[in-house]
Amino acid sequence: MTMPHPVCREIEPDLLAVAAREAGAAASERVERHVAACRPCRGELERYRAIEGLVSGIKGAPLPGDDATLARAELESRLADLRSRIVGFGIYSSPVGPILIARSELGVSMVRYLEGRVSPVSPQVRRVLGEDAVEDRAATESLHRELLEYLDGRRTHLDWPLDLRRVRSAFQRRVLEATARLPYGAVTSYSGIARQIGAPTAMRPVAQALRRNPLPIAIPCHRVIGNSGALVGYAGKKVGLKQRLLAIEGVRFGAAHGELRVDREAMYVCPPEEVEYCLPTCGSISSRPLAEVRLFGSRQRAEAAGLSPCTTCRPDLHPLN
Amino acid sequence: MGRVMAEDVFEGIVAAHHAEIRRYLLRITARPSDADDLSQETFLRGFRAYSSLPPDANVRAWLFAIATNLSRNHFRSRKRQRLAYAVVAAETPVADGNWPDREALLGEARARAERIIAGLPVKQRLAFTMRKMHDLDYDAIGASLSCSPESARAHVFQAVKKIRRGLDDGLPVETESTR
Repeated sequence: MTMPHPVCREIEPDLLAVAAREAGAAASERVERHVAACRPCRGELERYRAIEGLVSGIKGAPLPGDDATLARAELESRLADLRSRIVGFGIYSSPVGPILIARSELGVSMVRYLEGRVSPVSPQVRRVLGEDAVEDRAATESLHRELLEYLDGRRTHLDWPLDLRRVRSAFQRRVLEATARLPYGAVTSYSGIARQIGAPTAMRPVAQALRRNPLPIAIPCHRVIGNSGALVGYAGKKVGLKQRLLAIEGVRFGAAHGELRVDREAMYVCPPEEVEYCLPTCGSISSRPLAEVRLFGSRQRAEAAGLSPCTTCRPDLHPLN
Repeated sequence: MGRVMAEDVFEGIVAAHHAEIRRYLLRITARPSDADDLSQETFLRGFRAYSSLPPDANVRAWLFAIATNLSRNHFRSRKRQRLAYAVVAAETPVADGNWPDREALLGEARARAERIIAGLPVKQRLAFTMRKMHDLDYDAIGASLSCSPESARAHVFQAVKKIRRGLDDGLPVETESTR
């Protein structure tokens, strides 16, 4: 229908607004005045009102396919999955330099030594953690506090749930799990871990797996050293840091061939299958390779690991200095 | 964990708005499977972006904006537009040949209106649906469509005028002449 008069054309938006009950006082009054005098527009207003009625009928009518139950269930499961992947992280200062700690819903997923000043939005952090990571100091602060206590020697256990989903290789997982079982203050060699996971010749792959440890300190790869007692390597070129971590745990060092080594002669010894710890001179134990024993810097550490003094060599009666 | 709080809040958001957002998308796409997919995508995007939303934001309007954007992308394919229209057209009830009483006429008018709505340009249809089916205000509709509230209102009025024209003779209107 065309509206012949310009005044009628002009009033049309107001007419629509009045029909939709959206008009302000001024527009309502304009419409009222106009339709009182204009019969066609009175008809128009009625029609628009009827359309509003029709539209609210459509709104209220049942909608075919309007059952969100299945879609909701699927959404919930996608969200749960997404949530478990979301990583909250914090970057903190520590006696061993700036450190990044990240955790997911399942547990701590990353500990990383950083170089220099690193911003939470730096490409380095994104590359390491992925785009879904969010800075969340509230979620990581308690971890940082415990880590500081650990580095201070006031805490011997980090009882953190770990999220190892980023570790794709079953072999690396086994290596990390065996390493995680090494008690505080104990050291063994890469071959020792290889033996424990039933792959005694896999010394190099074990070293490689530990080089890519996503959770240093929490998974104590610093307690794994070379067969000669040399520290070998740690987090790139941070051998000094490895020594520092071991020193905190009471591990003894000496120099041999111009190289810093764990001093086996100054430490208590225990084969992994034994429940007693010995003096380094006990029986044939001194001839056993490092891969077949664990070393402890003090009786206190050995006993905290659940070991008792050997009844033959009696380290309790003849302690090492 | 600090984010746990935010996640619980988001669960509440899903509970409060999922059914409505899906209904909106169902009205727009006319296909339950598309409404499922787009509503899921709306909330997954919402979940990712939620932490950067200001605390006083209107969450419902924000979700409508995400859903609206997704629908507009969805309808960049003309084929989908035709498909949505075809679904509505196919649901039009057939007159049963009896003397048309007012109820039957109303039912038919409603079906015709739905067909006209399905055939509207996408922006008008989105604006109309947000306003008339979900009672969003023009500010929220404008924000969803990246236009001013006035333009949003103009889109809705255009839609109503098209329904008016399309129903010219088929609408059982009680006007002065029929009373």
